[in-house]
Amino acid sequence: MRDIIKIYPNGVRANREVHFGIRSGEIHALVGENGAGKSTLMKILYGVERPSSGSIFLRGKSVHINSEHEAIALGIGMVFQNFMLVPSFTIAQNVVLGSEPMRGMLLDQRAAVKITNNLARQYGLVVDPTAIVDSVPVGMRQRVEILKALYRGADILILDEPTAVLTPQETRELFAAIRQLVNAGKTIIFISHKLREVMEISDRVSVMRDGQMVGTLHTSDATESRLAKMMVGREVFLQLDKPTKERGVAMLQVRHLEYVNEAGREVVRGVSFNTYSGEILGIAGVEGNGQTELVEVLTGLRKPVAGTVSLGDHSITGLSASAVRLSGVAHIPEDRLTNGVALNASIDENLIVDRYNKPPFSRAGFVSHGAVVKHGEKMIDQYAIRAPDGTLPVGSLSGGNMQKVVVARELSANPKLLIAAQPTRGVDIGATEFMHQQLLKQRNEGVAVLLVSADLAEVMSLSDRLAVMHNGRIVAIITDVRNVSEEEVGLFMLGVKQQTQAEIEANW
Amino acid sequence: MVDTPAITNSEARVHERMRIRKERVRGSLIDLVVTLGTIVIALVVGFIVTLAVGKQPIAAYTALLTGPLSQVNRLGNWLQDATTLILIGLSVSIAFQARQFNLGAEGSLLVGAMTAAVVALYVPLPPILGIIVPLLAAMAAGFLVALIPGWMKAYLNANEIVSTLMINAIIANLYQYLLINFLTPEGDNVRRSALLPATSAFPLLADIFNANLGRANLAIVVVLIVVIAVWILMRHTSFGYEIRMIGANEKFAQYGGINTKRVVMLAFAIGGAVAAIGGVHLAMGVHNRLILGISAGLGFEGIVVAMLARNNPLLVPITGLFYSYLRIGGDIMERTASVGAEIVQVIQAVIILLITAQFVIEYVRTRRNRRAAEAKL
Repeated sequence: MRDIIKIYPNGVRANREVHFGIRSGEIHALVGENGAGKSTLMKILYGVERPSSGSIFLRGKSVHINSEHEAIALGIGMVFQNFMLVPSFTIAQNVVLGSEPMRGMLLDQRAAVKITNNLARQYGLVVDPTAIVDSVPVGMRQRVEILKALYRGADILILDEPTAVLTPQETRELFAAIRQLVNAGKTIIFISHKLREVMEISDRVSVMRDGQMVGTLHTSDATESRLAKMMVGREVFLQLDKPTKERGVAMLQVRHLEYVNEAGREVVRGVSFNTYSGEILGIAGVEGNGQTELVEVLTGLRKPVAGTVSLGDHSITGLSASAVRLSGVAHIPEDRLTNGVALNASIDENLIVDRYNKPPFSRAGFVSHGAVVKHGEKMIDQYAIRAPDGTLPVGSLSGGNMQKVVVARELSANPKLLIAAQPTRGVDIGATEFMHQQLLKQRNEGVAVLLVSADLAEVMSLSDRLAVMHNGRIVAIITDVRNVSEEEVGLFMLGVKQQTQAEIEANW
Repeated sequence: MVDTPAITNSEARVHERMRIRKERVRGSLIDLVVTLGTIVIALVVGFIVTLAVGKQPIAAYTALLTGPLSQVNRLGNWLQDATTLILIGLSVSIAFQARQFNLGAEGSLLVGAMTAAVVALYVPLPPILGIIVPLLAAMAAGFLVALIPGWMKAYLNANEIVSTLMINAIIANLYQYLLINFLTPEGDNVRRSALLPATSAFPLLADIFNANLGRANLAIVVVLIVVIAVWILMRHTSFGYEIRMIGANEKFAQYGGINTKRVVMLAFAIGGAVAAIGGVHLAMGVHNRLILGISAGLGFEGIVVAMLARNNPLLVPITGLFYSYLRIGGDIMERTASVGAEIVQVIQAVIILLITAQFVIEYVRTRRNRRAAEAKL
C-alpha cells in the first residue's frame, strides 16, 4: 500500500501518506494507539473504506478494492473485533454462509459440515460444526470467523485485535492456529496494542501514530519499550513502581452478597470479600460473570437481594448512590461515555455531579457559580486536562481527557474506597499509564482500591491481592499475586479450577 | 517530551480561549439565524397558501403582519394573549429541559383557573391578598395535579405523553362539570360563573394608562417575576442543575447520585404550578370569571413558544410575544380580509415541522459526537 491518504468527510485525516507492505507468508503486526489509523488502513485494504488517494499493489499488480466482495475475490479476509455471525445458525451454516453448497433449492447440510470439518482439520482450528453459534464460547466463535474467511479463499487474513476477548488459554490456542495457518502458506496481519503478544507472535511489526506510519521493523530487533515509545512518541514507563505497603483496616466488607437482575437471573451469588486500606484488591474474570453488577450493587446503583456491605464501621447495604458516595466511596465506572460523563454538559458541570449540593458549591439550594468555576480550574491544572477552561463541553475533549475528567472528579472527593471498573478498557498507552499511576498513588496514600478488570495482565501487575469471579461467585482469592501464573488465574476464570470455601474464607 | 514553558502555555491557553469564545459567538449567531430562518420560511409558506386561497392576499398578509400594532386595543389584546403564552411556555420548558415531553400544561391551566376562581368567590379577602391567596392556591393545585403524571413517569415509567393527555381530558371534563353544576348562578342562561369580586381582579392597564388597552392587565408584572424565578431556578439552583444533568444524560445523573425519579417528578409538578398561573391570569385578569372553554387550547400553543426559545427561560418572553403577535394578527386577518385564521395554523405547523427537523438534526449531531468520542477513546 503506497501513499494512502484517507480524509473523512468531517475533516479527520485518518491516514496521511501511509506506506505499508507485507510479505507473503509472514505474520505482520500492526500496532498503534486508538485513533492512530490502523483500522482505517485495514478497512481500506478490505474494501470497506476507499482511500482519498494512494494505491494498493497486490503481488506486484495495482488493484482497486471497492468493496468487501472484491477484497475477498482477491484473497483478502478480515476478522473484526465484533463477530459477524448469525447466532441462531450452526457453525457449519455460518462458515458456508454467502456461498453455500446447494442441493437443489436447499442448503446441503451434510456438505456444509464436511467442508467445515475439512477446513478445521487442515488448519487446526477445532470447532463443532453442528453446534449453534450462540451456545459456543467466544474463542470458538472466533475460529468460526477465521474458517469463514478461509472458506472464501483468503490468503491474507487480517485479525483486528483478536485477543481482546480471549482468556490466556484461548490466546495460546489462537497463536498455535495462526502459526499453522502461516505454515500452510497464509499471510497474517495482526492488529493489536498488546505489545507482549506482538513480540511473541509476529515476524515484523509496523507502528502507526497520528495517521502516519512511524516505521516497520523486524520483531527480533524490537523491544516492548521501543515499540511503546514509537507508538506514543515519548518515553513510556511500562514497569510500575510499586512500593511494598503494609495494609490497613478492612475498609470494605462484603458478605454473602446476592443480586438478581431484571431478567430474574442470579448474577451475583453469595459474594464475600474484604478490601483493606492501602491495598489494591483486583477482581479478575471473563466479562459478564457478575463483575458489572457487583460494582453497581456496591455503589448503590442497584439494590442487593441479600447480603451486607459495610464501609468501615457503617453498613452501606442498599443505600442510594448519593448516600454511598457521601460515606466515602468513589467510582470510576465501566462505561465512561454512558455513565461517567454528560457529553453536552461543560467540564465544570461534569466535575461536580457528586457534590453540587454540598458546600462550597451549594448554599441554601443555590449553586455558587464562582466555586464551580474555581474547582474546574483547579482540576484542569491538577490533572492536566487539555482544555482552555471549564466551560467547554466534555464531548469536545479527546478520549484520554474525558477519562481525566472522571478521574479528577472521583479522586478529588478524597474517598476511603475507590472502585475502578475496567479503568483502561479502550484507552491508549498514555492514558493507561496515567490511570495506573493514579490507582497506585491512591493505594499508597492509604485508600482501599477495588480494581475490576478483564485485562489479566493489568490486574495481576497492579493488585496486592486478586479475587477471581466466575459465574457470579468468587472462586479464588490469591494473596501471593507475584508467584501465580496467568495460566493458573485463567483456569480459575474459566471455572476449571476452584479454591475450597475454607481457602477463600481464609483470605477474605 | 519536554514540558512547554509556563508562559507559552498560558499564552496558548488565552489563544485557545479566544478561539472558543469566537466559536461560541458564532454558534449563538447560527442559532439565531436558524430561528429567524424558521420563522421567515414559515411566513413565506403561509403567504403562498394565502395566495392560493385568498381573494386579497396582500391585504390579508398585511393585516396579519401589521394588524396587532394598528390599533391600541389590538395592542392590548396582544399583550394579554402573550401573558398567558409566556407562562405556558415557561411551564413547558422546565420539563423539556429534563427531556420530559410534558403536555400537561393545558390541564394545569384549567386547574389553576378553577382553583383561583373558587377561592376568590368563596373566601372573602382584602385587596392584594385577594390576588395573592387565589394565586398561591392555584399554584398549589397545579403543582399537585402535575405531580400525578410526574410520579407515573418517574416511578412507573408510564409514557408521559399519553398520561398527560389523558389527565388533560379528565380535567377538561371535570372543569365543565363543576362549572355547569355548581358555579353557574341560578337564572343565568349562559354557562359561566358569577363575576369575581373586584379585590380579586388584576387591575387593567386600560384603567392605569387611561387608554383602550382591552383586557391587558397587571399580570404582566407576575410574568416578569416568573421569568426571572424560572431562570434562577434552572441556572442557579441545585434543582436546576439536577434537571439539566438529567436532560444531558440521565444515566450519568443517576451515577452521580442524583435522585432522578424525584427530580423528574418535581419537574412536572413545578411546570404545573407555573401553568396554573396562566389559568389565574385568564380567570382573574382576562375574563374575571370562569367561562366554558376558557383555555382555548393555549396549553398546547405554549409548546411552540418553548421550542422556539430552545427552553431558555430568558428567551421565552420574546418567542411568546412573537407567537402571540401571529395569533392576534391571524384573528385580525380573518375579520378584515376574509382569510381564515387557519393560515396562522399553517404557519404554526410549518414552524413546528421545521423545529422538529432541527431536533432531528441535533439528535443526529449528538449521536455523531458520541461516536466520534467513542472513536477517540
